[in-house]
Amino acid sequence: MAFLRITAALLLVCAARLGAQAAKASEAQVKAVFLFNFAQFVDWPPEAVPDSQTPLVIGILGGDPFGDFLDATVRGERRGARPFVVQRYQRVEDITRCDILFINRSAGAQPEEILARLKNRPILTVSDADRFAERGGMIRFVTDRSRIRLQINPEAAEAAHLTISSKLLRVAEVVTPTGH
Amino acid sequence: MAELRTVAAATSLVFTLGLVCFVQPGLAQQPDSAGQGPDSSLSAQALKKLSIEQLMNLQVTSVSKRPEPLSRTASAIQVITREDIRRSGAASLAEALRLATNLQVAQLDSRQWAISARGFNGTAANKLLVLIDGRTVYTPLFSGVFWDVQEVPLADIDRIEVISGPGATLWGANAVNGVINVITKDAKDTQGLLLTGGGGTDQHGVGTVRYGTALGSSVRARIYGRGFDRDATALPGGQDAADDWHLGQGGFRMDWEASSASHVTLQGDLYDGRIAQDSGGDIAVSGGNVVAKWSRMLSDKSSLAAHLYYDRTHRDIPGLFGEDLDTYDVELQHATRLGARHDVVWGLGYRLINDRTSIGSDSSLAFLPLHIARQWFTGFVQDEIALAPNRLHLALGTKIEHNDYTGFEIQPSGRLNWKLSPSATLWTAVSRAVRTPSRVDRELFAPAKPPYFLAGGSDFHSEEELAYELGYRQQEGSIALSVATFYSRYHGLRSLEQVNPPTPVPLVIGNGQDGESYGAELTADYRVTDRWRLRAGYTELRVHVWPNPGSTDASRGATESQIPDRQFLLLSSVDLPAHLGLAAWFRAIDDINDQLVPAYAELNATLTWQPTPHLDLSLVGQNLLHGQHREFGAATSPTRRDIQRGVYGAIAWHF
Repeated sequence: MAFLRITAALLLVCAARLGAQAAKASEAQVKAVFLFNFAQFVDWPPEAVPDSQTPLVIGILGGDPFGDFLDATVRGERRGARPFVVQRYQRVEDITRCDILFINRSAGAQPEEILARLKNRPILTVSDADRFAERGGMIRFVTDRSRIRLQINPEAAEAAHLTISSKLLRVAEVVTPTGH
Repeated sequence: MAELRTVAAATSLVFTLGLVCFVQPGLAQQPDSAGQGPDSSLSAQALKKLSIEQLMNLQVTSVSKRPEPLSRTASAIQVITREDIRRSGAASLAEALRLATNLQVAQLDSRQWAISARGFNGTAANKLLVLIDGRTVYTPLFSGVFWDVQEVPLADIDRIEVISGPGATLWGANAVNGVINVITKDAKDTQGLLLTGGGGTDQHGVGTVRYGTALGSSVRARIYGRGFDRDATALPGGQDAADDWHLGQGGFRMDWEASSASHVTLQGDLYDGRIAQDSGGDIAVSGGNVVAKWSRMLSDKSSLAAHLYYDRTHRDIPGLFGEDLDTYDVELQHATRLGARHDVVWGLGYRLINDRTSIGSDSSLAFLPLHIARQWFTGFVQDEIALAPNRLHLALGTKIEHNDYTGFEIQPSGRLNWKLSPSATLWTAVSRAVRTPSRVDRELFAPAKPPYFLAGGSDFHSEEELAYELGYRQQEGSIALSVATFYSRYHGLRSLEQVNPPTPVPLVIGNGQDGESYGAELTADYRVTDRWRLRAGYTELRVHVWPNPGSTDASRGATESQIPDRQFLLLSSVDLPAHLGLAAWFRAIDDINDQLVPAYAELNATLTWQPTPHLDLSLVGQNLLHGQHREFGAATSPTRRDIQRGVYGAIAWHF
């Protein structure tokens, strides 16, 4: 009986605390927050950061799946003294200064071409395109059974002189380029 | 032992209540200027507070893919992830199942485990359905599982879903008190070479080689080979119990993304092992399986899936008996949305078994007839009705099964899922489930030739269960809490009836007992910081069994259910600097059947070091608190074995 009472009490306590919070989030929202978080887990080479106030640019190439959620995510945030800025690009040629680039699946169907044009620029390339990391991209979002996992290609990051924290590597699947 | 009981109860109570009190105020109540859709999604501010790992664990909804029916099911479900297994240092599938706090898990000797949910545990526990990638692994011999040949390489496991309570409507017969669903990784997630090796006092030696590669642009495959050698357990006096054993296993899995909408999987395993016995020759086990699966999204509202498998097992216990079992199984499932409110899933299945047994040299028992072939036809349908979309869902369904022993069996259920808020769910369910007869109930005779002192019951019918469940789940920031309570009534539980009372033998197997079970399962996950995670589980459980009028079985279920009244588990996992990780895993298990097995508490600890993403070193201490302890079996039983303290080291190298 004591046990039933405790269970009932527990249920009541929980019921009293019902907040308005979701257990689920949309895929695009979670990806946007990942993009923001990547800034904390990546170190850029000094030449990519002209001064300590330089904005940290998160770029989107191709269609924008995030709506204004990415903007809302980074609003008011800083990495050290660097404020965050979101840029949208239609073509690779438009990309000027960029630190993290999300390549939309549609634009990234043939990522080799895009990646070749960005080659060795200190830009963290991220996409949800198929086999993105194996094809030379740095981070791929994999949606698997309703959860988002990361595949990371550290070799590609190293080639661009980016350092990805082991904390991020530890939770990700490390892949190596298949070289075609 | 009352002391332990009190300590366990008090600790868990304080812990759980502590968790509730630490629950942060609703994160989403903070002002948030944008991004808050009309649906009850998390805000940007709330999401930003989550760690990378939490983000990865968050279930996301995408338009094209329906959330898994399982996770929506109004039932007591726990999920063990690959990461949980890695951190725990578990050495076998059975040991990893200890992480599911809604299971009763006891190790009998070096290879045998008693595993059940909601009571009715025993060496031949028979009310649990165990699936590995959709393949049923319980034996039709006694409806239980030979855990010694379910050695799935732990590195290949994606997750283990454990449901306590009836799952018969969707999952089928034998899912009376629970379902364990082991799901291995897609071949695309196991690319490259993996070498693991290790050894220690209990795990004498273990090694795995796995290689995954791409075969063309849309096909990924892996192959693996694995072998281990495990030490014997101990006799009560500390002497070697001579039950050491070894097993070799190999297999493959191939995944083909035939198009963006269809997926084909082909997989298989082969194994061969030898288990020493203290008397008589070694037990020989061998077998294999091949599974083909296909799934296709027909539209954004409808999907089709099918599987086909063949499984073969061989077991020869010198002196006692031998068995060769072939299983053929095919299943088709269709899920579709009808209108705005109905999610319908239905399926058809067929299974054929061909079981050939032989009588051992001792002639102590026989399954008669020695050779049988049996068929099962199943059909099921479930409609999940959105009474109030995204708030109140009612799932009504039934399984209809035809088996060669008892003909048609109907297993309906009704489940109601009420989302009280975006973070809290209340659910309730009423279900009927049956355990259909297995060979042991109808066809077991001892000794092998008349006169028999024990005979199978030619009219043994299905054991029936009617279960009522009520549960509550809440996820709030870094805390997830769940409570499941249940009450079940059982009719026609197995009994041993005296043929000529009061003469004790001969005995015949009957359905002379009824029973009830009730209890509560509490679990809590708490991410204290990004680096420190706690999981606690506490289960209270009572099973009462009594004879029906006319029954001569006075055991009151002593042979059908051997369980502790309560158990407590606490798992703490910390990421330390320098890529070190430390996990400790404490369990306190109450005594079984009035001191038949005394209560015990044990601790496992695992230190892991990942100096590079390619290298993983671990040092595991198992059952550290005692030199040896007993988990199952009466003190006087000749088969009683004690589980010893063990230490082993392991290395895994990915490249």
